Amino acid sequence: MSVLPQTVLPQTVADLRRTRRSRRVRAGVVPVVLLVVAAVLALLTLCFGSVQLSLDQVLASLLHLRDHAAVDFIVRDLTGPQVKAAVCVGLALGAAGTIFQQLLRNPLASPDFVGISAGASVAAVAGIAVPTLAGVSLPVLAFGGGLLTAIAMYVLAWRDGITGYRFVLIGIGTAAFCTGVTGYLLTRTSLTEARAALHWLTGSIGQAGDAENNALLITLVVLAPLVPLLQRMLRAVELGDDTARGLGVRIEATRLALIATGVLLTSLATAVAGPIAFVALVAGPVADRLLGSARGGIVAAGAVGAIVCLVADYVAMNLLPVEVPTGVVTGAVGAPYLLWLIATTNRRGMGG
Amino acid sequence: MTASVATATPTPARRRRASGLAVGLLLLIALVPVLAFLSVTLGSRDIALSEVLDAFRHFTSSSSVEDTVTVRLRVPRTVLGLLAGAALGLAGTLLQGLTRNAIADPGIMGVNAGAAFAVVGSITLLGISSLGFHVVAAFAGALAATVLVYAVGSLGRDGATPVKMALAGAAITAGLTAVTTGLLLTDLDAQQQYRFWQVGSLAGRYAPIVIGVAPFLLVGVVLALLCGRWLNALALGDDAARGLGVSLTRTRILSFLVVGLLCGAATAACGPIVFVGLVVPHVARFLCGPDYRWVLPYSMVLGALLLLGADILGRVLGGTGELQVGVVLGIIGAPFFVLLVRYARLADL
Amino acid sequence: MRPHLAAAAGAAAALVLALSACSSDIADDDGAKPASGASSVPDGPWSFTDGSGEVVKTDKTPTRIIAHAPAAAALISYGIRPVGIYGDESVETDPNLDGVDLTDIEILGEEWGSIDVAKASTLSPDLIVADWWPAEKAHSGLENGTKAKSKKLAELAPVVGPSQGGSILNLAEGYEDLAESLGADVDDSQGAKDKEAFEKARDGFIAEMKDKDLTALAVSPADDLLYAANPEYAPELLDFTEWGLQVVTPDSPDPDFPYWENLSWENADKYQPDVLLIDSRTFVDATKTAKSQPTWTSIRAAKEGQVIEWPAFWLHTYADYADALTKLTADLADVDDTIGD
Repeated sequence: MSVLPQTVLPQTVADLRRTRRSRRVRAGVVPVVLLVVAAVLALLTLCFGSVQLSLDQVLASLLHLRDHAAVDFIVRDLTGPQVKAAVCVGLALGAAGTIFQQLLRNPLASPDFVGISAGASVAAVAGIAVPTLAGVSLPVLAFGGGLLTAIAMYVLAWRDGITGYRFVLIGIGTAAFCTGVTGYLLTRTSLTEARAALHWLTGSIGQAGDAENNALLITLVVLAPLVPLLQRMLRAVELGDDTARGLGVRIEATRLALIATGVLLTSLATAVAGPIAFVALVAGPVADRLLGSARGGIVAAGAVGAIVCLVADYVAMNLLPVEVPTGVVTGAVGAPYLLWLIATTNRRGMGG
Repeated sequence: MTASVATATPTPARRRRASGLAVGLLLLIALVPVLAFLSVTLGSRDIALSEVLDAFRHFTSSSSVEDTVTVRLRVPRTVLGLLAGAALGLAGTLLQGLTRNAIADPGIMGVNAGAAFAVVGSITLLGISSLGFHVVAAFAGALAATVLVYAVGSLGRDGATPVKMALAGAAITAGLTAVTTGLLLTDLDAQQQYRFWQVGSLAGRYAPIVIGVAPFLLVGVVLALLCGRWLNALALGDDAARGLGVSLTRTRILSFLVVGLLCGAATAACGPIVFVGLVVPHVARFLCGPDYRWVLPYSMVLGALLLLGADILGRVLGGTGELQVGVVLGIIGAPFFVLLVRYARLADL
Repeated sequence: MRPHLAAAAGAAAALVLALSACSSDIADDDGAKPASGASSVPDGPWSFTDGSGEVVKTDKTPTRIIAHAPAAAALISYGIRPVGIYGDESVETDPNLDGVDLTDIEILGEEWGSIDVAKASTLSPDLIVADWWPAEKAHSGLENGTKAKSKKLAELAPVVGPSQGGSILNLAEGYEDLAESLGADVDDSQGAKDKEAFEKARDGFIAEMKDKDLTALAVSPADDLLYAANPEYAPELLDFTEWGLQVVTPDSPDPDFPYWENLSWENADKYQPDVLLIDSRTFVDATKTAKSQPTWTSIRAAKEGQVIEWPAFWLHTYADYADALTKLTADLADVDDTIGD
C-alpha cells in the first residue's frame, strides 16, 4: 500500500491526480477483463472436453436455441454444471482469500491454511466414517464443520478484540489438530470408504450435486451487490485500528462481518468441491499484481480464482494421462508458487 | 508469562519452590520403571507374571511363544514408547515456546506431511513396502520438510518469526498433502498401507528399528533439555531476549533443528502421533509453572509416561486385537483440546 | 498496463474466433447402430431381474452396452461385446481383464469413482451392466462416495447386474443369464467352455478335499496387526467351504468392520489351521511383512511353510474361477492336514 505523503509539492499534484485517475481506471477495467477471460475459458472448457463440441452447438444448447439430446446432455447436465461449479468455487475462494489476506495483513493467511478447510474436512470425513452420520450429505457437513471451526477459532483468538497475528496462529493450530482427527477417522473406515474420503480430501470440482452448487451460486448472487460495501470495510480495517476508529468505523463489528463473509464463502466452496488447496492463496496476490496501485479488489481476486479453477480442472480432467482430483493439480502448481511468494513478499516484512 | 521468571534471583521462597519441583520430577521419574514393568507384563495376550520373569532369565530363540512375545515384542515396544514419548513431549514444548503458540503441535512444522509424502512416495513410486525402509524414508522426509519450512519461514527482513514459520509449515503441509493424496488415489495397496501407517502405532516395531532410531532420539532429548534458558528469554519477547544477549537467529535455528531431529525420528518410527506434543507442554506448565528449565524435563517425563500409558491402554482394551496408540491418544486428546479451547486464557504464551 | 489489457483483449478475441471454427465430435444427426455382436438379437420387449430385485424392462433388446470391467469380461466370454467399459483400476492391471480382447471398446474410466460420462453419452448406450452390492445398495462404480457427475451414468440407460453375495456362482450364473437374454448363443461360446472347465476344476477340488481333513484361515498380515478374514463376507471362501475346505470363521470380528478379526501379533497363534491363505494380488509383499514378525511362526502352518495364494474378492467369471480353483487344488495337494488343530 503506498502511503500518501503528508505534504505535497505543487508540481506533484498533477502527477498525483494522474495516478489517482489511472488507479480508478485500473480498478474498473482489470476486473472486467478478468471476468471476460474467465467466461471465454468457460466456453473453451465446454467445447474441448473429453467430447469435442463446436461453439455453435454449445451456445445453441446453453441458450436453448435448439434441442439435440446428446449435446444437451453433455452441455446442460455434465460439463455445464461442472464449469458453473468451477467458476463459482473460484470466485468464492478468490474473494474469501483476498478478504482474509487483507484482514489479517498477511499474504499467506488464506482460509485454506487457517483451519477452515481443515474443519470442513473433519466433518466430511466423519460423515463417511461414522455410521450415525451416514444419512447427512457430505457438503452440508462440510459447511457445518467449517463454520463451527471458524467460530471456535474466533472465540479462542478473542482477547479484547481480534488481532490477525493471534487468529493466524490459532487457525494453524486448529488445522493441525483437525488433520490429526481426520487421520484417525480414516483408519475407522473400510478401504472403499477411505478411498471416498481421500477423494473428497483432495478436493475435486464436480463431486457435489446440484443442491450445493445452487447454494453457492445463490450466495454469490446475493453478495454481489454488497461488494462495494465490503471493499470499503476492508479499506477501513486496513487503515489500522486507530485511524478507523477516528473515522467512526466500528472496527470489531466490521472485522466480524468480513470474517463471517470469508468463512461463509470458504465453507460453501468447500462443500461444493472439497478443500482445494492454494486457490484462495494465489488469487489475491495475482490479482494485486494486475491491479497495480488499485490492489485489493475483491472482484478481480474472485475472477482470478475462477480462472485458476477452470484451468486446473481442465488440466486434471483432460490433459493428464489419468484423471486426477482438481486439488492435486492446484497443490502441485501451488506449492512452488507459494515458495516464490514467500521469498519475494517476505522482504517487505509480513506481520508477526 | 511474567518477567520475573527469567531474571530469577535465588530467594528462600524460590529455593523452596525449586526443591518442591525437584521432588515432583523425581516422583514422575519413579513412575517410569513402574509403567515399563506394566508394559512388559500387560498386553493383548495373557501371560502369567512368573512366565514373564522366566522369559528374561533364560531366553533362547527356540523358546515358547510367551517368551518371544515378552522379549522380542514387548521390550522393544516399551523402549520405543518411552523414547518417542519423551521426544514428542520435548518437541511440543520447544515448538510452543519458540512460536509462542499455545496450540502448536509438531504437525504444524510439516513433519507429518514430509514423512507421509516420503513413505507414500516410496510405496507408489519405488514399490517398496518394508517397514524398515519406511522408517528411513520418513526420517528423511520429516527432516527435509522441517528444514524447508525453516528456510522458507526465515526468508525476509525479520527472520523466522512465529507467524511466518507457522504459515510456511501450513502451506508446505498443504502442498505435500495434495501430492501425497494424488499418489495414493492411483494405488490401492499404497492406500491400504498408508491408512494404517498414518494413525501412529508402536506395534510391529522390533529391535532393529528401535536400535536404529534410538541414537537420534537420545541426542535430541539431551540437546532439547539444554534449551531452557533460551526459551525463557524468548518468552519475554524478541526485544527483551535480544537485551538479555540471546541471539534470536542462532536460538531459533538450533532449536528448530532439535525439533526436527526429535519429531523426525519419532514420526519415522511410530508414524505421525498427534496430541502428545500438544497436550504434554500444557500439563507440564500446569504442574511446574512457566520456567522452561523445569517445563522441559517435566515434558520429557510426562511425554514418555503418556505415550507408553496410552499404548498399554490400547493393548488391554483391544481384546485379542489392539487399538493403535494413535487411536487411544485421539480419544484422550479430543476432550483435552476442548478444555484447552475453553480455558485458553490460562495457557497464554 | 494498457498494453497488457490490449494484449488480453486480443487474446480473448482470438480465442473466440478459434472456438467458432472448431469442429465437433457429435454430428447433428445421431444414428446409433446395434453393436453388441450378439448372434441374433431377439425382438423386444426385453426384461431382466436386477440384483436389487427390481425388474428392468425396455421396449427393444439392448445392443449398445456399457459395462463395469468384471461384468464386461463375463459378457465378452459369451460373445456380447460392450461399446464401453469402466474399471476400478487401470485396464492393464485389472485381474478381471487379463487376456480379454478390448479392441474397439471405449475405456471410460480407470479409477474408482470417476467415469467419463460425457464420452459415455456419445456411445448412445441402451444398457449399463455392473454388479449389485446389497450392503451399499448400489451398482459398482455408482456407490456412495463416487463423484456426483460419475453417477449421472445411470441417467443414460437402465443399470442391471447380478447381486454380490453368498457365492461367486451368483455372479457367474447371473452374467450367463444376462448374456443369454441379450441374444448370446450361450451354449456355443467361450463361456460354455469356461463353465465346463470350471465344473471340472470344482470336481477336482472336491475330490482333493474328500480324503483330507483340511482347515484353512485367510489372513492379511500388516505391520501392526494380523487380520483374519471373515468368510461370510468373502463369497469364494464360502464356496470353498461348501466344497470341502473348512475355512475358519473368526469368533470375534471387529464390530465396526466385520470383514476381519483384528489379531495383535501377540495373539497370532489364536487359530491353528492346517494352511494359511494370503491375498494373491499382494502375496509377495504380505508374506515378507509376515515373516518379519517374530510370532508369525507361532502359527504352525506358517512354521511348516503351508502358506498359499488366496484369489480374494475379485472373481466373476467361470474362466477365472476355473484357473483359480485349479491352482488352489494343486497348492492344497501338498498340504499336510495334521498341522492344525
